[in-house]
Amino acid sequence: MEIVALQVLNSLFYAAVLFLIAAGLSLIFGVMGIVNMAHGSFYALGAYITAWSVAAAAGAFAPAALFIFLPLGAIAVALIGLAIEPTLIRPFYRRPEEYQLLVTFGLLLVLDDVIRLVWGGTPLTASRLVDSFGLVQVGGLPYPVYNLLMIGVGIAAAAALWAFVYRTKFGVLLRATAQDRRMAAALGIDVGRIYVLAFGLGCFMAGLAGAIVVPSQAAVLGMGVEVLVIAFVVVVIGGLGSLEGALVGALIVSALRTITIQFWEEFELAALYLIAAIVLLIRPTGLFGRKA
Amino acid sequence: MDKERGQERRSFLKQFGATLGAAGLGAAGLPHSANAAVKPKGNIPDKALKVGHITFLTGPAELLGGPGQRGHVLAQEEINAQGGLLGKRKIETIFADEAAGTDANVKELRRMKLSEGINLFTGVISSGNTPALGPVAEELKVLTLFNDGCTDFLFDKAVPNPKYTFRVTNIQSADGVTAAIGAATHWPKARRIASLQPDYSYGRNVFEHFVLAMGKLLPGTEVVSESWPKLGTTDFTSHITKILSAKPDVLVAGVWGGDYVAFYKQALRYGLFDKMKVATTLAFGGTPHAIGKDHPEGVLAGVHANYHFLYPSAERWPINKSFVERYYKRWKEYPSFESDGAYTALYLYKQAVEKANQLVGGWPDDDAIIAMLEGAGIDAPAGYLYVRADNHQGYKDAVTGLSKNLPGYDFPVWDAASIISIPIRSITAPPNWPKPGQGHNESTAAADWIKKTWPTAKAA
Amino acid sequence: MNRRRAALAAFVLIVLALVPAFAGTYQTQLLTYGLTLAIAALGFNLLLGYTGLLSFGHSAYFGAGAYAVALMMRYWGIASMELFILGGIVFSAALAALFGVVCVRHTRIFFAILTLALSQVLWTLAYKFFWITGGTDGLRVPFSKLTLLGGLVDFPGADAFARFISFYYYYVLVVFCVCVALMWLIVHSPFGKTLQAIRDNETRARFLGVRIWRYRWLAFLVSGIFTGLAGILWVPLNGLTTPDILYWPQSGKIVFFAVLGGFRNFSGPIVGAVIFNYLEVYAIAATEYWQLMLGAILIILVTFLPAGIVGSAARLGERFKRKERASA
Repeated sequence: MEIVALQVLNSLFYAAVLFLIAAGLSLIFGVMGIVNMAHGSFYALGAYITAWSVAAAAGAFAPAALFIFLPLGAIAVALIGLAIEPTLIRPFYRRPEEYQLLVTFGLLLVLDDVIRLVWGGTPLTASRLVDSFGLVQVGGLPYPVYNLLMIGVGIAAAAALWAFVYRTKFGVLLRATAQDRRMAAALGIDVGRIYVLAFGLGCFMAGLAGAIVVPSQAAVLGMGVEVLVIAFVVVVIGGLGSLEGALVGALIVSALRTITIQFWEEFELAALYLIAAIVLLIRPTGLFGRKA
Repeated sequence: MDKERGQERRSFLKQFGATLGAAGLGAAGLPHSANAAVKPKGNIPDKALKVGHITFLTGPAELLGGPGQRGHVLAQEEINAQGGLLGKRKIETIFADEAAGTDANVKELRRMKLSEGINLFTGVISSGNTPALGPVAEELKVLTLFNDGCTDFLFDKAVPNPKYTFRVTNIQSADGVTAAIGAATHWPKARRIASLQPDYSYGRNVFEHFVLAMGKLLPGTEVVSESWPKLGTTDFTSHITKILSAKPDVLVAGVWGGDYVAFYKQALRYGLFDKMKVATTLAFGGTPHAIGKDHPEGVLAGVHANYHFLYPSAERWPINKSFVERYYKRWKEYPSFESDGAYTALYLYKQAVEKANQLVGGWPDDDAIIAMLEGAGIDAPAGYLYVRADNHQGYKDAVTGLSKNLPGYDFPVWDAASIISIPIRSITAPPNWPKPGQGHNESTAAADWIKKTWPTAKAA
Repeated sequence: MNRRRAALAAFVLIVLALVPAFAGTYQTQLLTYGLTLAIAALGFNLLLGYTGLLSFGHSAYFGAGAYAVALMMRYWGIASMELFILGGIVFSAALAALFGVVCVRHTRIFFAILTLALSQVLWTLAYKFFWITGGTDGLRVPFSKLTLLGGLVDFPGADAFARFISFYYYYVLVVFCVCVALMWLIVHSPFGKTLQAIRDNETRARFLGVRIWRYRWLAFLVSGIFTGLAGILWVPLNGLTTPDILYWPQSGKIVFFAVLGGFRNFSGPIVGAVIFNYLEVYAIAATEYWQLMLGAILIILVTFLPAGIVGSAARLGERFKRKERASA
């Protein structure tokens, strides 16, 4: 029984991380129509920046106060995103998808090497953060409180994002732009500003996912590409451009992963892609997607 | 019980001629012959010797490739400082990134030979790449000293009759067997095995040989849980929980590099190390400082190609002491087994060139160098290494030990009293043991040999 | 084909035929790689350039061709290249026919993602079913076991690699020329014209009574066969096939070929594939930061040369011609 409880928690933690990444990916696609191949690299950047700053500040802060570096890491990634959108991505809005895919693919290659250039090949860790929150007993087995908190952060992020998109004026502008860019522009919305902010928000969430993950795991080279493929599966199942879809997709994928690991190890990878392919066959736009 | 345990432990070690504790190396402190310079014979051209070296310079495996590259560069700088090979030929190396993929590596090796005209090819870490590059090296006739890529299949199947290809490190099957001997020695009561292996040929090889050897050493062992995370996995919580649910006595883990760092961080917080013994094949395989002080003690910390910088100890094997000092001075970090492998490969080549020169004079051709490499022995930092003539495979004693935090290091090292050193001939198929068939479901010659010749220990 | 074009094509062909006489084994084998990749790009561009469908899963057909050869050699002991081509085409055609049925119901990004997902399924199979495919170790296809032209030519013994390359280059060149000619005929046939009509205006084509679905499926099939053929010819060069060539970055490379050369041009993807082959080899040779270098080149190219190398060159040529005419 405690195993089931633990696996449910594992699954939720993984889902929280996946949701943050996939929601950013979906948001960027929904608003700007761009499939951001470099999205995983922003996640990796978040992990590296956070681990690096936690290590640098470890002496000066109380262990639990290092918590502040999680949002700071995410904000740093958002700033990078805000700088990249106008310079690299903006020229491509009027071009066909293949160009957008390629330019973000190029960005992925560049960012991966930049990470290595800056931080080298040795994994960075920030596990003192996990330890500072201690453990709880789940049916006699220890479970890190930190992970529980991060599941909470995931839920809070989902709620905040929902409120932001559906309850604020900016959210209205965002959705209007997503629905019809030209109409939005004709109505006087500053589409350029909406785009850059949407891109920054998407990067913030990817960075936050990286920041959350790194204390419990490690920042390693190649982590961005690794997660990109899984995030794609999530948005394909949930529906490109849909936040609800990202949430449901993340829950499905993480549950599926946990179940296959526990019971049918050899199908872990195949199951993910097969589910994605089946969903695509039945509902090509994903569970919550809208028609292009 | 403790007495019984002690007896069992001794009997295993005796069976393999293995030793426990720092007293490993028998013929300790051999005088190093490298300094006894002999005057080269004949005319030596002063043209630089070109070496190609492919290793992981990017991606998660940089943790292994980086130290390898640094070991190679150190050897090159030392040899060049002495005037080069035979006092004349300086070494120049072209490096390329193994992470570009197998097909790009094939292209790059051809470029190095056909376009750059390299005289020697070294490096290669992935066990998926040596079986691809070995045949290419043979067809290009480029003398090759792989420093890793240790799959048994290279010389069992891909290049069964090597002429130009050699490999400096031990073979892969020794990893699983060494971990099994270590586990059986330290934890003879273990019966229930859980496994966590990267989902590719290395992981399958470790799993197969570990389980096979454990079955012989500790009859009645059973595998109660298998996990096969893909290479590059960072979230191990579901695997860890699954392993916990199986309540094993011992976990054998072949995950390595960044994967291992992520794994142990999570396993620690899930209390995995309190609930079972853990035997690894590559925990201490990357750059030593990649593992933190929070790493638990008492984990069987494998080093894959059998070198960890504190062993052989300074008093017994000064060669290692001096290597570690020079390496640290040059790179401000401690060497890994890849550093030792790449460093030794270049010195092995140097030694063969010098011997061949004494015989034939002038700059020896590849055939002469190959003749000197076959059956060669060298005093390497890791101990004595010899190259078997029949399969061109380098062998050295297999070592493993339990992790411990010692003052003076920012990372865990081996507990000197726990180090097990096993003569390699005790755990690998002898020369001329029949090679397996070409099918990829055929196991290794080593597995076949273990099945047929190892006695099964009496049930406890 | 106008006269000028024909003359240019003949000139290029003569140059290609003379390459082994001037270039060494190394350059010849590098160009052989380039030509096989060009066949893949040619096939890919029937979808992207002429049908307007961006496939992000063409690694599937390239890998299908390569794996078909490796499996035939491994399990049936076949050595004849012609049989490999036959079997490999059947295999990749079957796969493209199947995947095509699923994919062509959709367009734009959904088409791209669907092709990507299906190719990933194939990659998982090659990766996971190691007792058949050898897993990450792959399957070996040594050229020394190969026979060409119905068993007339083989490559045993010493120095075989140089002999193999000098012969295999022409073998690939002939297949390449046949492919180019075939594709030229296809895109200039009524079938090809219809594809372009669908690409430019789907609604209008539908009103004209064109069965869009069927045309797209046929284009998908032909495209898959060409790319499969490229994989078949590639595998003896590489000496083995691994799951890497089924993984999504391989699909990305094929897209790169087309955009690099310019996909609105018949010859663009061909040039793009050959140039990319050199670019990749020399980037990896030049620096350990080859990814950064390739990424930067990619970004610069798509930003400043959206029409690709051939497209931009053609535009430049036209401007030049206009000026010439103006001054005359």
